[in-house]
Amino acid sequence: VGLLYLWLYSRRSGVERVNSVSEQRVIEPPPDHPPSETPTDPDLRSGFLGFVAHEMRNPLSTALWSAELLARLAPEDRGGARGEKLSGMCLRALQRLRILVEDHFLAERLDVGGIPLRPENVPLRDVLDAIAAKARGGAPPVDLSGVAPDVAAWGDRGLIERVLDAAVAMAGRGDARVTVAASLEDGRVSLRVAGAEPAPEALAVPRKGTPSDQTGRALALHMAVRACAALDGSLTVKDGAYVMSLPAGPQGAEGP
Amino acid sequence: VSAGAASGALVLVVDDDPDILDAICDILEGEGYRVARARHGVEALEALGRERPSLILLDLMMPVMDGLAFAQALRDRETGGGIPIVVISADGNPQKAASVGARGFLAKPFDIEALLAQVASITAAA
Repeated sequence: VGLLYLWLYSRRSGVERVNSVSEQRVIEPPPDHPPSETPTDPDLRSGFLGFVAHEMRNPLSTALWSAELLARLAPEDRGGARGEKLSGMCLRALQRLRILVEDHFLAERLDVGGIPLRPENVPLRDVLDAIAAKARGGAPPVDLSGVAPDVAAWGDRGLIERVLDAAVAMAGRGDARVTVAASLEDGRVSLRVAGAEPAPEALAVPRKGTPSDQTGRALALHMAVRACAALDGSLTVKDGAYVMSLPAGPQGAEGP
Repeated sequence: VSAGAASGALVLVVDDDPDILDAICDILEGEGYRVARARHGVEALEALGRERPSLILLDLMMPVMDGLAFAQALRDRETGGGIPIVVISADGNPQKAASVGARGFLAKPFDIEALLAQVASITAAA
């Protein structure tokens, strides 16, 4: 039935894509996703959407105002210091907004089981090397010495990339030094991402009433919890670090 | 140029988002206003100790001391009494502005012209 479904699915035209999450398998709503974590209660849902709106309105404001101020500048002034400042402001705001939009809609689609996934063997060191190589301003480099090159997870590469990127970003807040360690046990790989101390209730559904996140990562953990569940894994906070458990890939263990 | 801007009226802008702060100050300075900036309520109270502004543009959700607590602290201070407040919030709920006794409310993302109109109207009357 699964193969028939995959064949039928592959025949469909206009297959949906979400960022780098590739399609082969439509997931069901994560079975181990605690119902209490899904903001379906009207008050909780309303509070959550208010939070999302608040987070998005701030960078949207900056983008709109800086673009308008830039447009008001005389053409010969746009390349000057003020023009550069305004264009930089606009770009930062849009990048922040992009992260929020991507995290929000990925989390929403995961909640309804609407993301098609393609499980594969994903060498975690490769993924983490790419994340660590991304510019992090003046932050110290990410320490990956605790992740052996042959450790792999079994899951959708795009989703695993998003989860690890979110965890490293959150652990690196305030330019904290981030260390990642991986271990294998019983066919599962456990990744510990340590750095900045996770906030109390870091994995709870965010609610309206908290100050804005300047990095655009306000929904990163909300998304990552759902992504881990869709990968048949979990994301928890333990001993001051983010800990992910994922099915191990064939390179690092017996495989799924 | 409004009367407030022409006289170099001082506007205190309070917001924890540095880019929002920068953008609003840029807008106001471009119109001839003087600006003071604060990232939260405590910094805003410190700024009030240095110079009395004609108007406070106040965000509500901020760390350290939020807009509601700042407005209460302002009411409790003799020196801060009577300074008009316009709430600038991404919250979208004007009831909160009323609860701090604000003269006006601007929901982010508001138009630059709407901001300038409110600021001009209040600073001209100050």
